[in-house]
Amino acid sequence: MDYLLHILIMVAIYSIVSMSLNVLAGYTGLLSVSHAAFYGIGAYTTALLALNAGLPFWINIPAGIMLSGVIAFLIAWPSLRTYDDYFVITTFAFQIIVFSMLNNWVSFTGGPLGLPGIPQPEIFGIKISSHISFLIFVVTFAALTYLFLNRLMDSPFGRILKAIREDEIFTTSLGKDVMRFKLTAFVIGASIASISGSLYAYYISFIDQTSFTIMESIFILSIVIIGGAGNLKGSIVGSALLIFIPEILRFVGMPNSIAANMRQIFYGLLLVLFMMFRPQGIMGEFAFGKEGGVKEEVKKDA
Amino acid sequence: MLEVSGITKHFNGVHAVDNASLNIPQATITSLIGPNGAGKTTLFNIICGYLEADKGAVQFNGKNLNGRAPHERASAGIGRTFQNMRLIKRLTALENLMLAFMNHKGDSFIKTMAYSISRKHEVRNREKAYELLDFVGLKDKSYEPAGSLSYGQQKLLSLACCLALDAKLLMLDEPVAGVNQETISKILSLLRKLKDTSVTVFLIEHNLDAVMEISDRLIVMDEGRIIADGLPSEVREKPEVIEAYIS
Ligand SMILES: Nc1ncnc2c1ncn2[C@@H]1O[C@H](COP(=O)(O)OP(=O)(O)OP(=O)(O)O)[C@@H](O)[C@H]1O
Ligand SMILES: [Mg+2]
Repeated sequence: MDYLLHILIMVAIYSIVSMSLNVLAGYTGLLSVSHAAFYGIGAYTTALLALNAGLPFWINIPAGIMLSGVIAFLIAWPSLRTYDDYFVITTFAFQIIVFSMLNNWVSFTGGPLGLPGIPQPEIFGIKISSHISFLIFVVTFAALTYLFLNRLMDSPFGRILKAIREDEIFTTSLGKDVMRFKLTAFVIGASIASISGSLYAYYISFIDQTSFTIMESIFILSIVIIGGAGNLKGSIVGSALLIFIPEILRFVGMPNSIAANMRQIFYGLLLVLFMMFRPQGIMGEFAFGKEGGVKEEVKKDA
Repeated sequence: MLEVSGITKHFNGVHAVDNASLNIPQATITSLIGPNGAGKTTLFNIICGYLEADKGAVQFNGKNLNGRAPHERASAGIGRTFQNMRLIKRLTALENLMLAFMNHKGDSFIKTMAYSISRKHEVRNREKAYELLDFVGLKDKSYEPAGSLSYGQQKLLSLACCLALDAKLLMLDEPVAGVNQETISKILSLLRKLKDTSVTVFLIEHNLDAVMEISDRLIVMDEGRIIADGLPSEVREKPEVIEAYIS
C-alpha cells in the first residue's frame, strides 16, 4: 500500500514540475533544459532553511519560489535578447553550473554527501509523516498549480504565449513585447518548478546532487513531450506514465542494477517512438516545437 | 505623417536600399512599386523596425523612431502586414483579432489574474472584434481557425488585425497579391473607406491595375533607389520607370 502511495506522491511531484515546464516549452515554445536546476534550487532552499534555521514550510516554499524566480530572471534577461538557440545553450550551461555547485560546494550543500535529515513539514503543529498525509499534502500543491496555470494559459496572457510559439514576428507586429512575455513565462515556470523541489526534499527527507542532473531535466522534458506539449493535463498523464511503467520492470523481477539502466533505455525508446508516431504526445494537439520553417521565413521576410 | 530620410541598407555587398527618402502625408494612399528585389520589403522592414538601417532616419508623427523596437512602433500606430502571410493559424479568426488590441489589461501577467479587470477588457474587445470582422466581411468565419480561411480571407483578417491595433498608418506588403478579382475589389474599397476615416495607407504591390486604381501617389524603386515619386498618371510615363520595368 505504502508503495503505491509512494508512486502517487512522485507522480504528483513530477506533475508540478512538468506542468511548469509545459508553460515554457509547450505553450511558449521556449526550450529549456534547466528545469532540474530550478527543481534543485527549491529542494536545497527548503532543506537548508529547514535544517539550519528551523523555518516552517510556508516560509521555505515561498523562499524557494522567490530565489528561483530571481535567478531565472537574471539568466533569461541577457540570453533572451538573442536567438532561441542561444537561450537553450544558456539553460544548458546554467544546469551544468548548478549541478557542479551542488556537487562541489561541500560546506554549503553537503556535496556528494547531500543533506540528510530534513524535518517533516508541520501544519498547525501536526507533523506530516504518513504516506497518506504526504499524498494529500503534495496533491494539494499539484491541484493548486494546475488551477493557477490553467487559468493563466486560458487568459489573454496565455493567448499571447501561444501566439509567440507560433509566430513571433506576427506577435511583435501586433505591438507585443515578445521578449518580455518570454521572460515572464520563464520566471513563472522556474518558480513553480522550485515548489516541486521543496516537496521532494520534504518527502524524501534526504537530498543530494544526483537528483538534479541534466538527465533529470531531459526526463522532465520527455514527460512534457510525451504527455502533450501545450496541454497541462497531458503533463499529469505523462508523469503517471513515465513513473508507473518503469516500476513494472521492477515487478517482473528485474534486478535493481539492471532495471536502472533499462529505465534510461526505456525512456529514450519511448521518446523516439512518440516522435515518430505521435509527435503531438498523448494529449497535445500539435507537434512539439515551433511551426516548421518559421526561422527560415524570418531570415527571408523580416 | 511618415518621414523617411536617407535610408541605406547593405546585405553583404548588395545595396538593398540606397539613400531612400520619402514623405507620406496623412489620409493618403501611397503605393510603392518596383521590380523583384528592388528593396521594397527591406525598406518596409526598416520603417517598422525589423531591420536596422546602416544610415538614415525614420520619423513618425514628428517623432524619431531610430532605435525603437518593432513592437513599440506597432503600438505607436504603425500596423503592418507581411508579404508571406502571417497569422496564428491554429487560433480562430476572432482570437487572432483579440491578440491585436492594445492596452488589454489582461495582457499583463499580474492583471490577468485579477479576473474581473481582465474579463471587462476581454468582453469589450470581443465586441470590437466582431465589429471589425463584420467590417472586413468575415463575421461568419469568427470561429474558424485562421489557417483554414482562404488566402484572400487571410489577407482580410491580417488587415483587420492592423485595425484592431488601432493603427494610424497601414503598411501593407502586397495586400492583393494572389487574391481573386472579387476580393481585390473588396480590399481596395476597404482601403478607401479607411482613408476616409483619415487612416494613412502605404502599400507595396505588383498588381499595377490595382495600384493605378487606388493610389493617390506612386513611388517607384529600382535596385534600392527611389527613381520616381509623384502622381500615378505622371510617374507611369517617366522613361526611367518604363525602362526599369522592361529590363
Ligand atoms: N535578410 C536578407 N539578407 C540578405 N539579403 C537580403 C535580405 N533581405 C533582402 N535581401 C536582398 O535585398 C534585396 C532587396 O530585397 P527585397 O525583399 O527588399 O525586395 P522586394 O523589392 O521586396 O522584392 P519583391 O518584389 O520580390 O518582394 C534583394 O537583392 C534581396 O536578395
Ligand atoms: Mg518584397
